[in-house]
Amino acid sequence: MTTHPDLHRYRVDGRQTFALARRIIAYNPALFVLNMVLWASVYLLPAAMAWTVSELFRRLELVTPGPGAELTPVWLMLGVFAAIRVLRFGVFYAAFLKFIELIGTTGALLRRNLLNYLLTASGTRTLPDTPAEAVSRFRDDVEDVNQYIEAWVDGFGMALFVLVSVWLMLRVDPLLTLLTVAPLFLMIVVVSRLSPRIRTYRRRMREATARVTDFIGETFGAVGAVKLAGREEQMVAHLRRLGETRQKAALGDVLLTELIRGVNTNMVFLATGLVLLLGARLVVGGQMVVADFVLFIGLLPRLTGTLGFFGDWIATHRRTGVAFERMGRLLTDAPTDEPARHAPLGLRGELPALLPQAALAEPLRELEVRGLSAQYGHEVGASGGVQDVNLTVRRGQFVVVTGRIGSGKSTLVRALLGLLPHQRGEILWNGERVVDPASFFVPPRSSYTAQLPGLFSDTLRENVLSGSGEERLDRAVRLAQLDTDLAQLGQGLNTPVGARGVKLSGGQVQRTAVARMLARDADLLVFDDVSSALDARTESALWDALSRELDATCLVVSHRRAALSRADWVVVLGGGRVLDQGPLPELLERSAEMRALWAEEAD
Amino acid sequence: MTAELSPAAAAQRPPPGDSARTLAVLGRYLAPLKWWMLTLAALLLASTALNLNLPQLLARFVDGARLGADADLAALTRLALTYIAFAVAVQLMNAAATYLGARVGWQATNQLRADLTGHLLSLDMAEHKERTPGELIERIDGDVTALSNFFSQFAVRVFGAGLLLLGALVMFWRVNVWIGLGVTLFAALTLWAMNRVRKIGVEPTRRERESSAQLYGYVEERLAGLDDVRALGAGEHHLRGFLQVQREFFRNFLASWKARATVWQLSMGLFAAGYVAILSAAVGLYAAGTITLGTAFLLYSYMSMVEEPIDQLSQQLQDLQKAAASLSRIGELLALRSELPSGTQELSAGAPELAFDRVSFRYSPDSEPVLKDVSFSLPAGQMLGLLGRTGSGKTTLTRLVSRLYDPSAGAVRLGGVPTTNLSLTGLRARVAVVSQDVQVFQASVRDNLTFFDPQVPDEQVAAALREVGLGDWLDGLAEGVQTPLPTGSLSAGQQQLLAFARVLLRDPAVVILDEPSSRLDPATEATLTAAMTRLLRGRTAIVIAHRLETVARADQILVLGAGEVLEFGAREQLAADPKSQYAALLRASAGADEESAEALMEELLV
Repeated sequence: MTTHPDLHRYRVDGRQTFALARRIIAYNPALFVLNMVLWASVYLLPAAMAWTVSELFRRLELVTPGPGAELTPVWLMLGVFAAIRVLRFGVFYAAFLKFIELIGTTGALLRRNLLNYLLTASGTRTLPDTPAEAVSRFRDDVEDVNQYIEAWVDGFGMALFVLVSVWLMLRVDPLLTLLTVAPLFLMIVVVSRLSPRIRTYRRRMREATARVTDFIGETFGAVGAVKLAGREEQMVAHLRRLGETRQKAALGDVLLTELIRGVNTNMVFLATGLVLLLGARLVVGGQMVVADFVLFIGLLPRLTGTLGFFGDWIATHRRTGVAFERMGRLLTDAPTDEPARHAPLGLRGELPALLPQAALAEPLRELEVRGLSAQYGHEVGASGGVQDVNLTVRRGQFVVVTGRIGSGKSTLVRALLGLLPHQRGEILWNGERVVDPASFFVPPRSSYTAQLPGLFSDTLRENVLSGSGEERLDRAVRLAQLDTDLAQLGQGLNTPVGARGVKLSGGQVQRTAVARMLARDADLLVFDDVSSALDARTESALWDALSRELDATCLVVSHRRAALSRADWVVVLGGGRVLDQGPLPELLERSAEMRALWAEEAD
Repeated sequence: MTAELSPAAAAQRPPPGDSARTLAVLGRYLAPLKWWMLTLAALLLASTALNLNLPQLLARFVDGARLGADADLAALTRLALTYIAFAVAVQLMNAAATYLGARVGWQATNQLRADLTGHLLSLDMAEHKERTPGELIERIDGDVTALSNFFSQFAVRVFGAGLLLLGALVMFWRVNVWIGLGVTLFAALTLWAMNRVRKIGVEPTRRERESSAQLYGYVEERLAGLDDVRALGAGEHHLRGFLQVQREFFRNFLASWKARATVWQLSMGLFAAGYVAILSAAVGLYAAGTITLGTAFLLYSYMSMVEEPIDQLSQQLQDLQKAAASLSRIGELLALRSELPSGTQELSAGAPELAFDRVSFRYSPDSEPVLKDVSFSLPAGQMLGLLGRTGSGKTTLTRLVSRLYDPSAGAVRLGGVPTTNLSLTGLRARVAVVSQDVQVFQASVRDNLTFFDPQVPDEQVAAALREVGLGDWLDGLAEGVQTPLPTGSLSAGQQQLLAFARVLLRDPAVVILDEPSSRLDPATEATLTAAMTRLLRGRTAIVIAHRLETVARADQILVLGAGEVLEFGAREQLAADPKSQYAALLRASAGADEESAEALMEELLV
């Protein structure tokens, strides 16, 4: 979770943080105000309690012990004390319920907006980090923003408490109050210094814990490999090292937390001691009575804790800014206030209605790519992108893109579909320039199957349909050669596929993805190397079925003869450039690379 | 989750004698830390004693101050200074105790985690089939962390809170027997009630966790499959799915916090009554002249010394139960023994001869045999091409060589010695296996190759990579062998080559190789073939072959069918024998389509 160098591009300053929080609060302002009022009562009641107890002792001190002592004023005060305690009981419950409702709603809104933008906004969308890292935006950063909102709710009530407490104390003796309360403000400094460091330790500890659990998971996920390699001891030694790192972070956290608690408690004790010390003189001078001590001793501990809260306030504010920055980086080109957009959440009752899919305005006649250049991310071991690619796909054609590994086949189709940004060149649909390929190349215009398709932990049926109508299911399954698999899978279409499809074989995942693609009507079908998990016979059957039953235009990445031999047009890539293109027989005659690829396939 | 719930689990619970073993586990890990623990106890005792004195000092001050102008200023000042000194000392000792407790906890449990992992790794594969990695994470880290909380918190919180509560109760008894009795009953009732009520929160909390795991799991999957979602125009559909999952989470989130709030509510209610009662008693006793005003205040102050520890204790009681359950599960795991006892003999140097002598095997006593009476002998340094349809027992046969399992009957011999007589570590060090699916870790390239062994020099790792033909790939890595290897960035061919490099680093005498069955791109395949040749040279090898080209390089050929040897012999002989299955395969492939080598095998081999 290191700070990324280009985080400054998404800088969110203090004012913006405040504005964003305000916009989030404005989603349900009544709920927020209700929270403020309720929590203010929760925080003020202890001041009232301390005051009542002190008043009780003031009255008790006046009582002369013995039979017939006049206790009515004392009992009266005790009655008030009891009433406040009972009131607190009810107010706290109401405040708590309203608070979790508030936090639940704001969290839901933030998460919805993040996901909504990633899933549906126009433009090319790539995650800045791994999906797991992106999920922590949804969890940890949302949590940070929620804490900020909590800080606003609490802050109001706590400020009131400080004012009331200090006022109560000032009434007893201004100088004593000044001398004892002033040092407590040091708590603000102490906490504001130490709490960010505690968080650093906590974060380190979370990371260290994740490393420990990931490692255990990986070790036992690969237990066969570990045993076969006879490397059990090395694995245990590594776990030990990870454990030591975690222990260090954990102890650092404990130490600092104890330090803050220590300073806090000692401040209370010192202040109490000071009250006693200075108070002793006032008592002798007759300016102070026992009840006044009781008041001070009752108020001081909570006052110190409350001031500590304000010490953390600035850090919370800053942290929230960073959380918004990280969200901004995840959403790349979104406006700063995107996470705070107001949108229906359907937390209770009905979910917001789905928009019907738009009908196809203009069927594909011709797709043209002119001078396209694109880079392939920054992944380890991935060879380059493509440069200056020109190609044309006409309606009904079966076009194959072929080449060696790393020649840029995937990059080309992904850039064409807007899944990767392209640096130069243009894409024309029926002669018209496509401005935003990412939102243009979707059903009903085009549909796509990735080389390593992502399935979702749900049933096979839900994966194939992904929102399409049930009536498309049968044909899609049949065309994708998935029907034989259904017989094998115990529950047929109702089989759960597991996280990312782990319960299916590689070929089944691939066929499911193809079925998913065919379950939506599209003019252009783009297949990125389905051969990696399909055997030759299945692949052949798939192409046969497609040409027999669909009037589809296909753009296919493949090096198999099954695909190449039925191609109307073949594009040979090498080193990110188009080496040659044309009908296969012509290419076999004039292109050495095509001949080599064709021959190697034969071996 | 809890073992107590299912009758089946209850039946499996260890017999009573095992609780002694459970305690032994505890003792084993705490014994080396006994001095730390004694220091901890001393700190807690001292701090509690001082802590109990603080309200006494306040009470004496109040009584002194009551005298107003007649008060003894010097005495009051002394009291105030003593108060400050005691208070600061209490705080310091508490902090030290907390730190010590955490230290003891982490040290003991880190040791336990390592031992447990080592132990689990030593178990046989039959045992591992029963457990998912997720479950083991829960056992090793979840259970042990529950235990670590117990170690570190129990001492400080439970022991400390117990002491404080006890001390406070004693103080009440000393002031007045009836008040002492009353407060003691009150404390007992409160503890009991809070412990009962806390259970209300357990189930909703579990549901909330589950539902939050589902929520973030949903998000992660969609983000991992972002291209699929977007290119299929299914964004709105998945967003709607998300809102549905989120609605469920919201519901469970509210329910679980509401349930947990019940505990606070109860505590607030009970203590409201408690404080009112104690104040009434104080007022009554003072009015009757039994106690001083200072003592009345003392009673009120001590009430908070009852409230705090009761809160702590009722919280910790839950953890205590959790820790006990964890400890018993850990004890169970530690009691498991591998079905594959290690022998004592070592393999002699050089490539050994490999022989199967009437070997039969079934995975469990009541299942069908997977191998039936398999016998063959592979001379040292030769390569065996293993053919057969899916499910004919090829993989199982190789698993017996590497001793992932032992034969149900017969013997597997390496260099003339039955594998069961060989030391397991020695055997595994000399027999290397490359399976079709290569396990990669989310770690650096070198850690992936060496299995996190820091002893192997980087140069050696790099050399192994170059030898298998990954030199160019290595040169393209930003930090060389230290570069993290993100899963998914490697092609199938590259993964296979990495597995070859792993094996080369160990220089084994026997290699078992399950050739990739899916077709790789031609260039990668050429590299792979070259690397394979280098890897197998001078080693005894079994290759589960999917391409005729690979089989063509084998010295011996074995065809398996339904667990039985259909054909075994030198490749040239089999090729020359027109009746052999291998010869039939060669004939069929001569006129066939290039793609179908594997399909042919599937069709032709019985």
